[in-house]
Amino acid sequence: MSQLIRREAVFAITGIVTVLMFVEYFFFPQDWIVASTIRNWAVIILNISLGLGAVRLIMQHVIGTQRRRENWQFSLLFLVAFVIMLFTGLAGYLSTGVATSNSIYNWLFNHVYTSLGATTYAITGFYIFSAAYRAFRARNVDASLMLIAGCFVILSNAPVGEVIWSGIPVIGEWFRFVGQVPGMRVFGVVGALGTIAYGFRALLGKEKGFYAGGAEE
Amino acid sequence: MTFIMLILTFAAMYYCMYLGKQGKTFKIRTLPAIQAIPEAVGRAAEMGQPVMWTPGIAGGLNDSTQGPQTLAAISILEYVTEECVKAGVKIAALCPLPDALPLVEETMRTAYTAQGKPEEFDDEFIRFFSGQSAYMTGTLGYLQRERPASTILVGGFYYESVIIAEGGNTIGAMQIGGTNNIHQMPFLAATCDYMLLAEELYAAGAAISGNPDALGSIKGEDMIKLLLVAITGVGFLLGAAGITFIADLLGM
Repeated sequence: MSQLIRREAVFAITGIVTVLMFVEYFFFPQDWIVASTIRNWAVIILNISLGLGAVRLIMQHVIGTQRRRENWQFSLLFLVAFVIMLFTGLAGYLSTGVATSNSIYNWLFNHVYTSLGATTYAITGFYIFSAAYRAFRARNVDASLMLIAGCFVILSNAPVGEVIWSGIPVIGEWFRFVGQVPGMRVFGVVGALGTIAYGFRALLGKEKGFYAGGAEE
Repeated sequence: MTFIMLILTFAAMYYCMYLGKQGKTFKIRTLPAIQAIPEAVGRAAEMGQPVMWTPGIAGGLNDSTQGPQTLAAISILEYVTEECVKAGVKIAALCPLPDALPLVEETMRTAYTAQGKPEEFDDEFIRFFSGQSAYMTGTLGYLQRERPASTILVGGFYYESVIIAEGGNTIGAMQIGGTNNIHQMPFLAATCDYMLLAEELYAAGAAISGNPDALGSIKGEDMIKLLLVAITGVGFLLGAAGITFIADLLGM
């Protein structure tokens, strides 16, 4: 990619789009057709990029299978699954205009993909448990305070907490809504300021990530 | 009021950036997480294992609140890649965001070129995962198979943060985390050795570059922070006295 496209063109497009979005947000009570059209373009570009991701995946797994890389069988499995989902979805779309009308596609989506996704989601609890175990070790004063607060919050959420002592839910709720909320709001405010500062630097061409490493030094 | 505050914020940042350009140096608080990156890469070089970078799945570039986190993470990626190229360490970028893929690829390619080794770049360093479950299980699989010495988990994360970071802990990787997603900060704080909290994630790119006018924008941001603290304090005191002028001005 030439330096011209990487920096100057991105710089110009960013500037124009920023001005248009600002004007819409502050001076148009309802959607402004120019700004909403640009947002639609962004959605279209985003969806095209999904195709880009799919192509990258296919290329990597085709090469992996061809060269018999380690665990190439999984690459082959991916390619087979990809082709099945693509063709069953297309078959449904071509016959009725709706991709999800194909029964094989639906069965694979609901009974394989969704089930596997739900299983992955369910194991999060165990990961949270082991992360909490590490965080709640009373190594110093700060960690000890967090451990005490954590115990109150956990017990306030468990029915047994109130049985042990009626004050536990009260203290636990205090930690959750009085102790925690101001701290979280601070992060919210400074995070928003950080976003504005990042946007401002990007607008002026000072952020390397925004220009894929081609920002002004 | 929002418009005035925004203009004021831009003016403060621009003024400090101007001062930076004129040669004024700004003292910025050091970010331990950024200082730890060379250590993380050095560890990987000693162990002969790769470094893993991943930006989380929340930060689609089309999302106004999450997207900037991915862009900030890509700024950090460039620095990490340059350090890896210098140390001869392999880096793997595990990216679940299709719209960020071209940026990730171009950033890494630029870093390799900047270090004089463009021929060493291979786009196989970048792995794409489609969907959150695939991203989590794919990343866990990568961690178990390749056993990276260090992981850099910066960007917009949803609940995959705790799964990936715990996976990293299981293999004993040195971990640097960072996010602006409030609900994920505790997970990364509990599982990572170093952490970029909220705005630190955005400031990291400027801090790495050391560019005086980019650092000036952080100084300007700090000035606005002070102003907000002052408004909040004065508003609280006036409110306690029954005067609601500031609360009315802010539309509260």
